[in-house]
Amino acid sequence: MAGMSGKRLQKELAKIQGVLPPGISLVSAEDLREWQMDLIVPDNPIYPPDEEYRLRFHFSANYPIEAPEVVFMLLSNPERKIPMHPHIYSNGIICLDLLDKQGWSPVHNVESVCISIQSMLASNTKAERPPGDAEFVRSNRSRPRDINFLYHDPTV
Amino acid sequence: MASYQADQLKEQGNAAFRNGEYLEAEALYTQAVQKYSRNPLIFTNRANVRIRLMDWNGVVNDCSKSIEITGANAHNHKAWYFLAQGQLGLHHPNEALTSALTAYDQVLHPQPTAKISPKDLETFSAFVLKCKKAKFAARDLERLRRQGDLRAELESLLETQRQRDLDEVTTQLGRSQLGNIEASERSHEITTTLDDKITSLRTVFGAADPAKHEAREVPDYVIDMITFEPMHDPVMTKNGHSYERATIYEHLKRSPTDPLTRDPLTIKDLRPNFGLRAACEAFWDSGASEWIADWS
Repeated sequence: MAGMSGKRLQKELAKIQGVLPPGISLVSAEDLREWQMDLIVPDNPIYPPDEEYRLRFHFSANYPIEAPEVVFMLLSNPERKIPMHPHIYSNGIICLDLLDKQGWSPVHNVESVCISIQSMLASNTKAERPPGDAEFVRSNRSRPRDINFLYHDPTV
Repeated sequence: MASYQADQLKEQGNAAFRNGEYLEAEALYTQAVQKYSRNPLIFTNRANVRIRLMDWNGVVNDCSKSIEITGANAHNHKAWYFLAQGQLGLHHPNEALTSALTAYDQVLHPQPTAKISPKDLETFSAFVLKCKKAKFAARDLERLRRQGDLRAELESLLETQRQRDLDEVTTQLGRSQLGNIEASERSHEITTTLDDKITSLRTVFGAADPAKHEAREVPDYVIDMITFEPMHDPVMTKNGHSYERATIYEHLKRSPTDPLTRDPLTIKDLRPNFGLRAACEAFWDSGASEWIADWS
């Protein structure tokens, strides 16, 4: 199956180097399996317009049949923080149905995932972390895809 | 007895193959067929090793032998698949495509006793695509070469004609049938006319030369939304969207849902899309290899 992910990622990379929606940019994709994107959130006072957030995408050999692993990165140079959101843990793990087994579809791509995350941030009204954030960050050992999030707050 | 010994040797060959000892494996398989030459599997296994050794003629011979033993209409998907690889290695993409399609078909409609691996459909489908690309790239290259030769020949003929016309002017000048000024004007006219003709010729050939075309977008309907590759066996969901058969099968194994709507979806709900398949075939015929920038 490695064949499928290779071809597909090459084509996505070619496309993404063309035109991207506003606020989304490609930082690096030297290793076809791991990409980094920068994201700006428009029109939301919780997120300053000059604050950029870094997303790390990791693709398995079964992409796009399997969802990519997408997390926010905390960096100091350049400075990148983890955005405040009731579905984003302070270690960068994102709670988004689109990214897990049930919600993922292979017709999604890097660009559509970025747009979804950007829109999730843009429509957010609560500048807080998920309940149990500290405990989760301290004790979590699972990979994001193996975590069964309970989406019990549809108002966000 | 001989066939039992052959099986023993075959197993040893298999072990060597798994260890990456290809020459050793080949030698063991060869001993096996010398003991007993009617077991098609030994030939198929040897073909598999020979693929690693890039002995394409050997691959083709072994697969042909295996197919001969089982019968051309019988189930032998591995032999057909390896045969396709051998033919591709020998730069016979037309034959490779035929073999690849046979292998694909045998895996799609297996006989009850056939031993298919779950990955075979996806692997064979991808290989069909590879053979199609090779076939049409070769055909388009051949056409370009012929066009190039024709253009060169026509330009050469025009040059020869010009030289004759100029020589004629020189002769007439020598015989005082023409004055100096007139001769000069005629020569100039001859040369200008020739230059115009050559320019016209190059324009016409240029228009026909696909390499000069701007990179056209491959039509969306030809492309599988999951792999982003052109399709050869598209199937349609209830919502009217089509995917490459092997690709949507892989998706459904993990998530029996429609990729776009997430409604429940199973293999039984899929329908072949003959109209789209014809459109995809037409796309290949229309010089597809020139449209796709990263043709590989």
